[in-house]
Amino acid sequence: MDIVIKTTSRILFPFMLLFGVYLAFHGHLSPGGGFPAGAVMGTAFVLLLIAFREKDIEKKLPEWKIADFKSIISLALVFMVLGEFYLREKILLHQRLFDLWSGGETLILNILGSIVVASAIIIIAYSFMKEEWKGIQ
Amino acid sequence: MYICIAAFFASLVFSLNAIHLGERDIASYYLRNGARDTGSPNIVNSIVWDFRSYDTLGEETVLFTAALGVFLVAERRSSKRKEGV
Repeated sequence: MDIVIKTTSRILFPFMLLFGVYLAFHGHLSPGGGFPAGAVMGTAFVLLLIAFREKDIEKKLPEWKIADFKSIISLALVFMVLGEFYLREKILLHQRLFDLWSGGETLILNILGSIVVASAIIIIAYSFMKEEWKGIQ
Repeated sequence: MYICIAAFFASLVFSLNAIHLGERDIASYYLRNGARDTGSPNIVNSIVWDFRSYDTLGEETVLFTAALGVFLVAERRSSKRKEGV
């Protein structure tokens, strides 16, 4: 890709990631939440995938890392199920409204859901783009 | 036949209009007690992730299944191509 797109995406990438984390952690106090946070974080990685060449990405993001994302997704789903069933009553006690570490179950489920959505977007985009790169070569 | 269908939908619309919903119980309950029950002042987020969290868990499972299917199909195609070459 162009040098402009490369430099811009390299500069923008940490800010997009930070904004996604902010949306996930602040979702129970302000507009936001798990799904937009995951979409923002996944889009940051997709921007890197689009901007850089195949070799750089293959060097930095080898194939076994996608399997890692898959296990991260499954772990987050398992913890979500556990949180739905067990954690709900215990966390909610002794919390002030409008604190950052309030919200009970909502905060934890926001973070886990954002991880799931981001990993799903990364896996889908990377699988399709790898097929495209192989077709070009 | 078309007249029958039109009459059916017209009667449906009129009957829906006739039902008086009155005070919507569950919506007013969420608005009044949502912050106390879930601890989060963002009422949309508390509905999506706490009151309706099984629904959200299903959505996440759908996303997980989609990602898994795409990954498996792409992986199988690429491994087959490697064997063929």
